[in-house]
Amino acid sequence: MTLATPVIGERIERAEARDKVTGRALYPADLRLPGMLHAKLLRSPHAHARIRAIRVERALALPGVRCVLTAADIPNLEREPATRARAVLALDRVRFQGQPVAAVAADDVHTAEEALELIEVDYEVLPAAIDPREAMRDGAPLVRAGTVTMENAEAQAHATIATGEIHEGGDRPTNIATRVHFRRGDVAAGFAAADVVIEKTYRVGHVHQGYLEPRAAIAHWDRPDHLTVYVSAQGQFFLRSELAAILGLAESQVTVVPLEIGGGFGAKIQPIIEPITALLARKTGRPVKLVQTRREELIAATPAPETIIELKTGARRDGRLTALQARVIMDSGCFPGGPLNVACLLIGGLYRFENLEIEGIEVLTHKPSQAAYRAPGAPHGTFAIESQMDALARALGLDRMEFRLRNCSEAGDPMPNGQPWPPNGMRRVLEVMADHPIWKEHRPAPGRGIGCAVGGWLGGIQPASATVRMNPDGSFTVITGAVDLTGTNTAFRQIAAEVLGVPAAAVTVRTADSDSAPYAGMSAGSKIVYTVGSAVKAAAEDARRQILEIASRELEAAPGDLEIANGRVSVRGAPERYVTLARIGQESTRFGGRYEPVFGRGSITVTHQSPGFSGQIAEVAVDPETGRVTILRYVCVQDVGKAINPTLVEGQMQGGSAQGIGIALSEELVYDAEGRLQNPSLLDYRLMTAIDLPPIETVIVEVPSPYGPFGAKGAGEPPIVPGPAALANAIRDAIGCDLTDLPMTPEKIVAALQSQPSTAPRPI
Amino acid sequence: MTVTRRILTLTVNGETREVLVWPYQTLLEVLREELGLTGTKEGCGSGDCGCCTVLLDDQPVTSCLVLALQAAGRRVRTIEGLASGDHLDPLQEAFAQHGALQCGFCIPGAIVMARALLNENPHPTDEEIRWWLAGNLCRCTGYTKWVEAIRAVSAADQGGSPATGGERQ
Repeated sequence: MTLATPVIGERIERAEARDKVTGRALYPADLRLPGMLHAKLLRSPHAHARIRAIRVERALALPGVRCVLTAADIPNLEREPATRARAVLALDRVRFQGQPVAAVAADDVHTAEEALELIEVDYEVLPAAIDPREAMRDGAPLVRAGTVTMENAEAQAHATIATGEIHEGGDRPTNIATRVHFRRGDVAAGFAAADVVIEKTYRVGHVHQGYLEPRAAIAHWDRPDHLTVYVSAQGQFFLRSELAAILGLAESQVTVVPLEIGGGFGAKIQPIIEPITALLARKTGRPVKLVQTRREELIAATPAPETIIELKTGARRDGRLTALQARVIMDSGCFPGGPLNVACLLIGGLYRFENLEIEGIEVLTHKPSQAAYRAPGAPHGTFAIESQMDALARALGLDRMEFRLRNCSEAGDPMPNGQPWPPNGMRRVLEVMADHPIWKEHRPAPGRGIGCAVGGWLGGIQPASATVRMNPDGSFTVITGAVDLTGTNTAFRQIAAEVLGVPAAAVTVRTADSDSAPYAGMSAGSKIVYTVGSAVKAAAEDARRQILEIASRELEAAPGDLEIANGRVSVRGAPERYVTLARIGQESTRFGGRYEPVFGRGSITVTHQSPGFSGQIAEVAVDPETGRVTILRYVCVQDVGKAINPTLVEGQMQGGSAQGIGIALSEELVYDAEGRLQNPSLLDYRLMTAIDLPPIETVIVEVPSPYGPFGAKGAGEPPIVPGPAALANAIRDAIGCDLTDLPMTPEKIVAALQSQPSTAPRPI
Repeated sequence: MTVTRRILTLTVNGETREVLVWPYQTLLEVLREELGLTGTKEGCGSGDCGCCTVLLDDQPVTSCLVLALQAAGRRVRTIEGLASGDHLDPLQEAFAQHGALQCGFCIPGAIVMARALLNENPHPTDEEIRWWLAGNLCRCTGYTKWVEAIRAVSAADQGGSPATGGERQ
């Protein structure tokens, strides 16, 4: 195939960039429907309480209030719902601070807020299970009555993986929702054969996804039996299924219209606010808008789980790993579904351990339920294993990078679940890092250090479809059901243009609503270019075949002898014999046209994963007096298979790195002993700012995937993964202290320095 | 005392506007809800994120912390007022061309802040750019491409070509 206008690998501008820089881009909070009401939720101030009574009369009497709902108004609400989304309003009992107990719709948002103050709730405050290790003990206050059934459609969507042996619940009531075990070989023998054994406990706090756009939704019953919702969500089909199930509707009764999404990172998958918004709209017969405040977002959204990892590893003097033993405790808040398996697989899967034993425990607490956050579970597990790989290398006197290269898993090596690693670029990423000037040329200096880590994401897979339509002017429209989070519509534009042999400008990409879009999975798991991109490629190939077929009739030449270039289909070697694409567009659409409309269809399923790996190097300066860490230089190396658009890929690498750095240095949702969030503002929950971060250098590595379009792999998730370990290793290098508890705040660094035995060498 | 709405007269993007507002309404709310200028975003409502940045008499403010009535008789410029017709502000062009945006929610505020910076200091160092934009949170980009975009506009203004590679200190 001759490609006269190659667009794969070009840095074309993001398709919707101009809408976003001008403020035209429409997010749900920007939309106003005629007659629209505004909703607010009354939230529990307690983490665990029984609701004795709710009185709403005074709120209802406030002028401008159109509707007040409590659990009593919602038929079929379950007492022990299986998912957070189904707990539309608290029924009798609240399980986390901020759980909605009543909802108001009013003429304006101020009236709705005023009405909340007039609702009286009589709570009986109950003891709460907050600390995950306390919550595991017998006699701890129970988060749920009865046995726990895990529904993890969302977790599966992220990374299709086989789990370990699962033991759920058991007979006794407990907060332990899930236990998994992974075993291989003989761990005791492995440790006995080790020359060095390292044992430490690592902890990653609860972190918030931190999307700048608070959740927002508009619900509108446009017919008595039909609901349309305008959402900021990562997948219109998943949301439609969930919403229909919760509301007791057929999927055909619900249309989900995805508008621009102001960041999701895994949090905007489950319908957390849409069900109650829809119920208010049904009750009032008016469109209703609900927009969360930042305070609500921080207190009562769906952050990422706190994770405690007890990890023991052993190695021989020759640098061979002998055994790994781990216990992973994941605090999923008040509903199960945490990414326990991912964390376990990465802890035991990145490197070759002949003997391993990993126990994973998911525990429930009286805190908000958790959701995915970019590579869910991966930064957690990677922080532990990659910190420990450094510690082992140090104890053995081996080069940190060389030690990793010697032990890294290769394609075919078993993960802890026995599944073989698919082909991947982990080794290549390590080699590129080892060769990077910042790494090679680093020289020790007081208070300065360098660290590295590698981490990956297995990659999501899912069926997907797409269409490519030829327009009367010879241009093309790609239609998919994929929400554009990361620039995927721009990548689709390039994929279709490349296949069709037209400039990118000749292709428009539209994300359609749940009624009109070809099916696609949610934008999660780093799989949109990988799966939907493959469907777009197939649809474009189908359209191309149809174009060549029409042209062959027009030109009386075999389709195989034709090529598309410069807006024409011509006979190869005889450029004067051509028909323009515009003419084919015309003749296949006009009144009395001679040809069938060109309508390419791509419907695929990808059943092989292509893991993506990122390696990061951090060079830091640590002030021993204040504990302040300054990142001097930061490099993100990443294997993306093929960068369809390097600018977009760099954006993923830089943004993911920044989030990893935030987990490492500053971010944690801090709860008191009663489960109340202590830092519910962006002043106190510190996202990385422009002055906290250095320029993030990117190095794109391309080890082609055998399956992704043009060799592409998922690029979104891997870059958040290795940062916390890379920074912990850099800080260790600078001050000689192991930091095992994230975030590594100045206080913790000063405390670590002060508790350092005075006999230990202090390089400062 | 009954709270009543008052007439607010202000200049928004060069046009004189008159609106009825409650004394407790913020400038952000009035811009978005009463004047239909939804390009300015609310990310936190407490001045911590910078998404609602507008120029008030040429000075950048977080409009969620300004009462609408405080803007009486003053000039407000929002993201919608940076472009003239189809002609975008060079910063808007640069953010688009450099891929300095992803989800886009923080971008209007960031571009308005960058405009305030370049109005005051047409040739900032990278460090100055970072300090000026430190109150504008972005969760997607890691800021690297913001700095590149702003630097490119500054360099073009000098008649020079945009620097590439490392940042200028």
